[in-house]
Amino acid sequence: MTEPTLFTAAFALYVAALVVYSASIFARRDKWAKAGFVLAVAGFAGHTAALVLRTVASGHAPFTNMYESLSFLSWSVVLALIVFSRSSLAPRLAPYLMLITVALVALASSPLMPKDATPLVPALQSYWLWLHVSVTLLGEAFFAVAFVASLIFLWADSAEKKERLDALAYRAVAVGFPLFTLGGLVFGMVWAYRAWGRYWGWDPKEVWSLITWFVFALYLHTRIVMGWKGKRSAVIAIVGFLAALFTYFGVNYILAGLHSYA
Amino acid sequence: MRSVWKFFSSVKLAIVLLILITLASVLGTLVPQGRPAADYAARYGGWAGLFQTLQLTRLYSSGWYLALLVLFALNLVVCTVVRFGAKWRKAFGPAPATDPRALVSAKIKSQFRLSLPLAASGDRIRAALRAARYRTADSGDANRAVLHARKRRLGYFGSDIVHLGLLVILAGGFTSGLGGRRAEIGLLEGEAADVPNASFRVRLDKFETEYYPKGGVKDWKSTLTVLENGAPVLTRVVEVNHPLTYRGVSFYQASYGWDWQRSSVELEVRKRADASFSKTVSLKLGERASVSDPDITAVSIRQFVPDFVRGEGGKVQSRSQEPRNPAAFVEAWKGEERVFAGWIFAKFPDFGPGHQGGTSPLAFVLKRYQAAPFSVLEAAKDPGVGLIWAGCLLVVAGLFLAFYWPPREITVVLEDSQGKVEVTAAGHAAKARETFASEFETMFEHVRRPS
Ligand code: HEM
Repeated sequence: MTEPTLFTAAFALYVAALVVYSASIFARRDKWAKAGFVLAVAGFAGHTAALVLRTVASGHAPFTNMYESLSFLSWSVVLALIVFSRSSLAPRLAPYLMLITVALVALASSPLMPKDATPLVPALQSYWLWLHVSVTLLGEAFFAVAFVASLIFLWADSAEKKERLDALAYRAVAVGFPLFTLGGLVFGMVWAYRAWGRYWGWDPKEVWSLITWFVFALYLHTRIVMGWKGKRSAVIAIVGFLAALFTYFGVNYILAGLHSYA
Repeated sequence: MRSVWKFFSSVKLAIVLLILITLASVLGTLVPQGRPAADYAARYGGWAGLFQTLQLTRLYSSGWYLALLVLFALNLVVCTVVRFGAKWRKAFGPAPATDPRALVSAKIKSQFRLSLPLAASGDRIRAALRAARYRTADSGDANRAVLHARKRRLGYFGSDIVHLGLLVILAGGFTSGLGGRRAEIGLLEGEAADVPNASFRVRLDKFETEYYPKGGVKDWKSTLTVLENGAPVLTRVVEVNHPLTYRGVSFYQASYGWDWQRSSVELEVRKRADASFSKTVSLKLGERASVSDPDITAVSIRQFVPDFVRGEGGKVQSRSQEPRNPAAFVEAWKGEERVFAGWIFAKFPDFGPGHQGGTSPLAFVLKRYQAAPFSVLEAAKDPGVGLIWAGCLLVVAGLFLAFYWPPREITVVLEDSQGKVEVTAAGHAAKARETFASEFETMFEHVRRPS
């Protein structure tokens, strides 16, 4: 099978998973949630194969244009969903994570996104770039989990459920924060240093990564040293994920900078 | 002094500073940074002056932004130091005195009896704890033994290591800012130049541009030789993403171009009245080349632009360095009389007064144009990078410890009671309690019923 076919198949499976998961919200049946999970995992397998094929065909890791990086980000969100699937809250979170996944994949598939694997301009030919983008997007996928858990927290009414959602959001940040630090900041600096001879240049994308990082540092500190939990924590996690999203999309389309290729 | 210390030991200050730095950073992405004053005047009108006074136009190097970072660093130092002693004692100091009643109220605990003598019971529990990689310390008296066990004690210091790393990164940033130097060096093949702020020279031996088969630049490669007192000491190819570092100066492939001011062109001269007439001459910019014909004795090129465009007031400019629309200003001479002057376009031979269907009796074709390529290298000296990478390592290692190396503590009290031993064990962990609880449970299950 070719990469576009696999990608489309994965898209279809994700949509099916979203539908079945959504049914599980209303039907409150474990069976539906289980079926949704099976579909999501099947989609994930196809998506993985598509990413591998694309890497083999183009000879470089698939993170070099918006289509490729959206595809990888959606893949990471499903991965995060799978990582947290053993949590008892997973069936509650899954429909929303699937919604994010489907939205990202739909955006990647839209005709506005050029899909051709274009030859890399010289600055992008570096394995530090692959590490930088992949690890950052993985970290952001876990921020997405914290975001969804925090949103559901704000709606939830049972105190017991709220407590578990709060703990789950923290666990997702505990995975996402080190990944984001390593990928977004450390690998990003190493790459910039190799490519341009400076590890930091205050370009808008760099600054917004730093802002995202500060917001999650705020999340951790208000929790651990000021004992903030629950609602206030949830709001900070939501703001943090929105900052990550803005770093990813907003900077490219709204603010101009060096990073405008990806 | 005391109150200053107290001020900086507050975590609330850290929260306030984090929020302020975040907001300031956002502001810096909304106002374009480091543009010429006229840009701001055009964009913000009367506000431009205020923006400049507040240094919003170079916010990240402004005094107040740097002051925030310094306050942040001081806060970080004091906060970390203040807590460090107590943490150190908790991790490595002697076991605290144990109150058995406090153990009973612990969330993770186990109580059972062993039909073994006190010493043997202690040994069995100690062995189980050590097998699970706990370090144990004993206390107690003749009929009451206390075991204190700890593991992953480094985990207590994860946050301190992160904070130390951040300080090292900030120090690196300030070092780079104060001691960093960068300069661009443009070199033609074969040329050498002094390296600014260094005592050696570099020579460009070769410069190549590689293209993809379908077009598009794949890479630029500059072969550089380092010269010490005129003698070559090292030759290396510098590509994008593959800099050369020599004696603390790194050379990056920054840019490239052509030396159009010294172009050479090949020009075909024709006469409208005589279709069989065609002469091709090669000449350099500024030179006069002889055509040896009674109507036209010589031609010369006064100006050459690679990417012709007419700017304001019809002034000729080059839009870029790329040969996208090369044009030459050609002059033709009959003795000392100028018989033609006009622009000739390589890509638009049917345009201008000098083309075949034009008004002039002479016509010209710009057949070839050539200029030597040059490479622009960025020579950067950055004394802060070592600190930056060291700080990054500390931060990443500290984050791993803080989140994935949770310290665990177990206190076990053994008391003789009517020939049996009453055991009370309690576990304490600030993080990852669930996994700890299951480790705890299996461990003591095994102590009770060794298989
Ligand atoms: C962006 C900057 C900062 C980062 C990335 C950072 C990172 C961290 C991390 C990862 C932890 C451990 C959190 C956890 O275990 O959940 C932590 C804890 C802590 N941080 Fe920071 N920190 C920063 C700035 C500061 C500042 C400026 C202060 C100054 C007061 C501070 C004070 C503390 C304290 C008191 C703790 C708890 C320490 C403990 O007992 O483990 N942090 N920090």
